[in-house]
Amino acid sequence: MGDLLSGLQQASNGMRAQSQRLRYVSENIANADTPGYHRKTVSFREIDGGVGLGPVRLDPTAAERIYDPSNPLADQTGHYDGSNVNLIVEIADAREASRGYEANLKIFDQIRQMHSDLLSLLKR
Amino acid sequence: MFTSLRVFATAHALADHAARSQGLIARNVANADTPGFRAQRLEPFSAGTGAGAPAMRATRPAHLSAGGAPEFRSVDAGTEAAPNGNTVSVEEEMLAAAGAQRAHQEALLVYRHALGLLRGALGRS
Repeated sequence: MGDLLSGLQQASNGMRAQSQRLRYVSENIANADTPGYHRKTVSFREIDGGVGLGPVRLDPTAAERIYDPSNPLADQTGHYDGSNVNLIVEIADAREASRGYEANLKIFDQIRQMHSDLLSLLKR
Repeated sequence: MFTSLRVFATAHALADHAARSQGLIARNVANADTPGFRAQRLEPFSAGTGAGAPAMRATRPAHLSAGGAPEFRSVDAGTEAAPNGNTVSVEEEMLAAAGAQRAHQEALLVYRHALGLLRGALGRS
């Protein structure tokens, strides 16, 4: 495997996968304060023609117990379940996803440039 | 003057090598987060040409050696694995991509100049 046009396909699949990953990360961040929310995790896998995302899974880690007796969801001890989202982990994940996206974009641009150089050889 | 047009064949081979190399690099970068993925690299161009090139075996000296296009295999890049088994280093891939692009441009430049020489020799400039 290794060819100019298949490289374009690999790079664009890579960009798509990273942006889908970023979507799940932003869903997690947006729901960091939602009671009972479990963060979504997704992993990459190689499929024919490029990289793709595997099935989305929920992180089974126990949610944070928040003490707030005035909250309508609070139990007898005054606690309720928050979410299991760790903002630091999510932000690091978002950084990595956007870095991966940029790397794929750079490669895409380089391959496009090489292809265009080849075609310009045909010009006078 | 030109008894054989080896320069075109070599320039073509280098451009082809650079293009295939870039394809492998694209696959590596796309799979930078895939667990267990091992980065692949194309054999260096010098491994298939020049002094290091494997010549075709001939059983008798009188047999002609066709000298066909050199074949390059993809080999494991041999970089360190991350905890999830992935061995892609994005920095290494960027470096290799820049090298492949430079080689591609060199090859096309040589090709274009040789073509110009040929045209000049034919009296068509």
